Amino acid sequence: MATLATDLELDSALTLSQAAIGCDFQIRQVEGPACSQLRDIGFCEQMRVKKLTNGRNMLCTVCGTRLALSKDLADQIQVVPA
Amino acid sequence: MSNSSIEARIALVGNPNAGKTTLFNALTGQNQKVGNYTGATVSRKSGTFFTPHGNKFELIDLPGAYSLDPNSPDEEITRNVLIGDQEGEETPNLVLCVLDATHLERHLYLLIQVIDLGYPVVVALNKTDSAEDQGLRLNPTALSESFGVPFVAISAMTERGITQLKQALRHPFPSPPGRIWKGPAELEEAIKKSTKLAETNGENNPAASGLMAVVNEGSEAKEFIQKTRFEFIHRAVEVGLQRPDQESLALTDAIDAHALHPVKGWCIFTALMITVFWSIFKFAEMPMSWIEEGQETLQGSMGDFIGEGDFQSLIVDGIIAGVGGVLVFLPQITLLFFFISLLESTGYMARAAYLMDGIMNKVGLSGKSFLPLLSGYACAIPGIMATRTIPNTKERLATILILPWTSCTARLPVYTLIIPLIFVGALQQGLALFGIYAVGTVTALLAAKILKPRLGKTEASQFLLELPPYQKPQWKHVLRQVGERAFAFIKKAGTVILGLSIILWFLETYPKSDSDDPIVQQAESFNGQIGEIIEPVVAPLGWDTRMGTAMIASFAAREVFRSSIAISYATDEEDGEEMRDKLSASTHSDGTALYTPLVGLSVIVFFIYALQCLPTTVIVRRETGSWKWALGQLAGMTIFAYLAALLVYQIGKLLGYS
Repeated sequence: MATLATDLELDSALTLSQAAIGCDFQIRQVEGPACSQLRDIGFCEQMRVKKLTNGRNMLCTVCGTRLALSKDLADQIQVVPA
Repeated sequence: MSNSSIEARIALVGNPNAGKTTLFNALTGQNQKVGNYTGATVSRKSGTFFTPHGNKFELIDLPGAYSLDPNSPDEEITRNVLIGDQEGEETPNLVLCVLDATHLERHLYLLIQVIDLGYPVVVALNKTDSAEDQGLRLNPTALSESFGVPFVAISAMTERGITQLKQALRHPFPSPPGRIWKGPAELEEAIKKSTKLAETNGENNPAASGLMAVVNEGSEAKEFIQKTRFEFIHRAVEVGLQRPDQESLALTDAIDAHALHPVKGWCIFTALMITVFWSIFKFAEMPMSWIEEGQETLQGSMGDFIGEGDFQSLIVDGIIAGVGGVLVFLPQITLLFFFISLLESTGYMARAAYLMDGIMNKVGLSGKSFLPLLSGYACAIPGIMATRTIPNTKERLATILILPWTSCTARLPVYTLIIPLIFVGALQQGLALFGIYAVGTVTALLAAKILKPRLGKTEASQFLLELPPYQKPQWKHVLRQVGERAFAFIKKAGTVILGLSIILWFLETYPKSDSDDPIVQQAESFNGQIGEIIEPVVAPLGWDTRMGTAMIASFAAREVFRSSIAISYATDEEDGEEMRDKLSASTHSDGTALYTPLVGLSVIVFFIYALQCLPTTVIVRRETGSWKWALGQLAGMTIFAYLAALLVYQIGKLLGYS
């Protein structure tokens, strides 16, 4: 049952670049070549993130900190609605 | 106070923008020392302070870092000092970790890493006043219990809680809390083995080196440790911090809605940049004239005081004229640093980098290259030093290599001398100056586009930048930074420029001619002889020997061009009008005018592109770690400058201009 729930949750996950502006999300998974750098700056599993703008470089807040990150990096962050 | 009375060394660590430097200044006051780490150009700041218990401690301000897995040379220093791997640096006895209370969750990661290294730690929970304003409710006691280290609530800016913080730094220090997480047996075994190996190898801090080695060995272990640490932080924050229910639209959000807007943001950015540059030229006018007057007075009185002869000439025409000619730019440089520091202090600089990222990306750079390039307009040296914040090595190298093409203030005396020979009227002259800056900048960016892919394969450049909240400028910090820069500039004038002025004076004065005519003397001097040799090289540019020797002299420092021309034409260097009249009236041996607009243009083009600054070459060598890049840049820029000036003059002549 627990595995099914996890699978369902992962199915509903979307990347941060796909996420809608102004909504709150929770980071589900950080995976990709820059995952270590992203975690260092605060994009870590379970953290709450809010996307503020779209574009080549997008703005978002993580735990109250405003961060700008490129679309390539945002693609490495999987989020689920909080 | 002697060094021996220092009872312990405390390292100050924290994320960038955590308020680390403000706390450092609040704790140490005036008792500071600035130096460099051995083998690196990262500056080492340290200071001393007394606790209420009478203990004297040395505080070392380590470069800001998000984590101990370094992404830039600055962060590497922080990591190396803490694991005891930094040459010439003893391991600290205690770590004072500065956390920004308004971004607590993110900053706690670095704290856990430091605790894991086995240090006694005291936490300065900074910006608690801002946190309260945002409705955050902090519980330092709960946080202290979770992490096993004291948390002291402070506000470094208002110096609230500084006494309590000093009290918490009681000597002897508490024993280190030790690692607060446990891994699976396999991982624990690997850490144990690695620590033993570090012990056998005689590492300064075996526990730290051992753990770091395991973390760096495999991505699986690293991922597990990162996740475990964040889970711990998550639990600790749940009891240690209460957030307000509704996020209010803070001042930062309101300003950013305009400052980062795709259209309005650019308007604000352009207006700010124009204001900065206009102010630099406008407000520097008066102090510059004071320095000039002071220099003239000094030359006059020294001339009267010392009897006529070579010694008088050395002091008045060599040293005072040479050093004064450079010191006159102090107001402009101070103002540019003031504005850069002000923009950084308010939080706007990160927004400018965000906006510029789009343009920079088109030439293979990122927004992080913007600040170094902007600093380059004042002086290439701090600009090159500022590239240390660029994590991508190839991008950093490309930025260093193109940076001298952003016109620095040392070129201004040449531009202001030559422009009036070509253009008449303030508006035209102003536009010409703007054009010169634009040509340099555009060429620099195009060069980056051509250069970057040729510097070898590199990891893709990723833009990731923290945008700190807007805040009132920290005047104390701004003024301190400007003071440090101004002092460094004065030091340069008093050492490098002083030495060069003496050498130049010698080359201009000896061997002595029998004639009293300064022009004959100049022609027979070493400098004149050098000019004769290089005449065939500079003649295709439309230049004569005197301009050739001035150009050679200016390779030591560009500012010297003006004084060398002044000596060659036997005119007063400070009187631009008189100097220009003499230049306009000078002719070739066949009677044709020497300083035609086309020749002026060729001089300007040469100065836009030539790298004529020995200190810059030395700094490039230090920052890139190789003479290959430094000398390659010098040769490349000189050849490019020569060819560009040659093309301008020869094509201009073909088109019928004179």
